[in-house]
Amino acid sequence: MEPLTSFFAVSVILLGIGIYGLTTKRNALRILFSIELIYNAANLNIIAFARLRDPPIVTGQVLVLFTIALAAMEASVGLAIIMLVSRLNVDIDLRKLNRLKG
Amino acid sequence: MTDLTFLALATVTVASAVLALEARDLVYGAAALGISFLGIAGLFFLLDASYTGVFQIAVYIGAVVVLILFTVMLVGPQLGEPPLELKRLSLLIALLVSLLLGTAGSLTSAAAFPGPDNCGAGCDLTRLSTTLINQYSVPLEFLSLVLAAAVIGALTLAEADRKG
Repeated sequence: MEPLTSFFAVSVILLGIGIYGLTTKRNALRILFSIELIYNAANLNIIAFARLRDPPIVTGQVLVLFTIALAAMEASVGLAIIMLVSRLNVDIDLRKLNRLKG
Repeated sequence: MTDLTFLALATVTVASAVLALEARDLVYGAAALGISFLGIAGLFFLLDASYTGVFQIAVYIGAVVVLILFTVMLVGPQLGEPPLELKRLSLLIALLVSLLLGTAGSLTSAAAFPGPDNCGAGCDLTRLSTTLINQYSVPLEFLSLVLAAAVIGALTLAEADRKG
């Protein structure tokens, strides 16, 4: 069994990649990718921490099931918004998209 | 043996996560994102959370990645986005945050997180399902309501332009 710290390390790296994408990308889809990556980092962390207790608790897995469902929900609504925006104006560059600004 | 499997899975996950953000073509990016999700599911299997791993594959590969691929193809490929002015600064910040978390993690020894070797009864599927039904049945119902609302909302959003 790999020590749990390695799983935490993978989670931290994924979180870093997600933050990098969130801060540097302009395309709405890439930003959605980054959000999904951060969700996955959090899920991995929760599962790894649930193994910490002896005996391991199942609440972590239940929590991750809920998180995955909520992430899928968020992705579906986000993708619908992206499709709508791409139909309204051609560019889905979030840094230039200020149509809601008064 | 687990060591090698873990290393391979971690490498695949991280590399394809980077590729998902850096690939020129968004279609390749979406495919790389799917491979990264598969790697995460493999890590779940290593952590003896097999049901969650299967759920991850079903929801992420089966639903989210397919949805993303459809959106990419409907929105149209956008090749080579112009770099942001703040790119260097934000890269620095992301590196700094990772370093900070990494040093904090390395300060804690591996012995602090022993992690039981065999999961035993803790990862039993029966226990998971009983917990899910007995303790979390109300949140589960709310979750299905939220999912239904999200689907209806997404449909309404995508449909809104056609009517008006």
